[in-house]
Amino acid sequence: MSKREIKVYSDLSGANAVWADKIRKLREEKGIVMLNLIGSPGCGKTTLLEKTVESLTAKQRFAVLEGDIATTRDAERLHKLGVMVSQLVTKGACHLSAKLVHKAFVDLPLDELDMVIVENVGNLVCPAGMDIGETAKVAVLSVAEGEDKPAKYPRLFREAKGVVITKTDLLPYVSFNMEACLDDIKQINGTIPVIKVSAKDGSGMGEWVKFLTSFSKNQH
Amino acid sequence: MHEFGIAQELVKTVLAELKKLDDSAKLTCVKVVIGKLQEIVPENLTFAYESLTEDTRIKGSKLEIVDIPVTVKCNACGWEGEVVGIAFLCGKCESHDVRVVKGMELYLDKLEVEVDE
Repeated sequence: MSKREIKVYSDLSGANAVWADKIRKLREEKGIVMLNLIGSPGCGKTTLLEKTVESLTAKQRFAVLEGDIATTRDAERLHKLGVMVSQLVTKGACHLSAKLVHKAFVDLPLDELDMVIVENVGNLVCPAGMDIGETAKVAVLSVAEGEDKPAKYPRLFREAKGVVITKTDLLPYVSFNMEACLDDIKQINGTIPVIKVSAKDGSGMGEWVKFLTSFSKNQH
Repeated sequence: MHEFGIAQELVKTVLAELKKLDDSAKLTCVKVVIGKLQEIVPENLTFAYESLTEDTRIKGSKLEIVDIPVTVKCNACGWEGEVVGIAFLCGKCESHDVRVVKGMELYLDKLEVEVDE
């Protein structure tokens, strides 16, 4: 018996990267912007989208891909508002894989769309490391979660092209240190825009929709 | 638990590599290189690897994980250095305009096998 060392150098994101590239290529060909919303369970991603529908519809032709571990509830909420929406059920997986997103993406009427918003599975870790061929990742964080989340999950905030701080109407009732949170975000990703919104009282929603449309080439 | 998906890809890759060798080749160690920004918990990856290899010819092989710290390069002055804590900024001119040059690695580096002479 003798020992041998075999150099391999094989990328372990291999299979996912192939599907992500397929999405990216098709997306660019069709001129579609894809935004990947990532945040904790309960940070208000679906509510934010519900309140975005009216003002975004006037500016962009868009569809939503809803990620969920087990249910179709979020898609039903948006469907009621007349949004073109598909539910992606991961059956237990903690993030959307590019393969699953691709399946839903190619089923959309791509020639009639400017934008696809993906609401990822509620999770600050796994979706951050998963390329789904998106234009940009957007981090969503609610004031109810505490200001330490960016420092605890730096990858997401480093990769994101924008941060939305939601539920600002709750600020008087929770001990959320906005200054410390903004400072940590700046440390991790100094050039990133931060938008503070309350889907409940509507504050910051104009800035949020402006941020979304800033990625799109097709302005209506 | 994104470690499980990564372990699946790893086991698939390792088994494919072993097929290229003689049947008597026994895998002793697998070395993977993982950047800190991948936010991988080594214990979880090891657990997933051990579970997934249970009924395969590579059962009992050791998984060695090499951890790569996060390094950034300043777009303004060219300084390059390790990120301390969460401070993704230049250690010289303090600019926030930096790019990550190390810490995103995720690859199978090498295999150690025992072969009959």
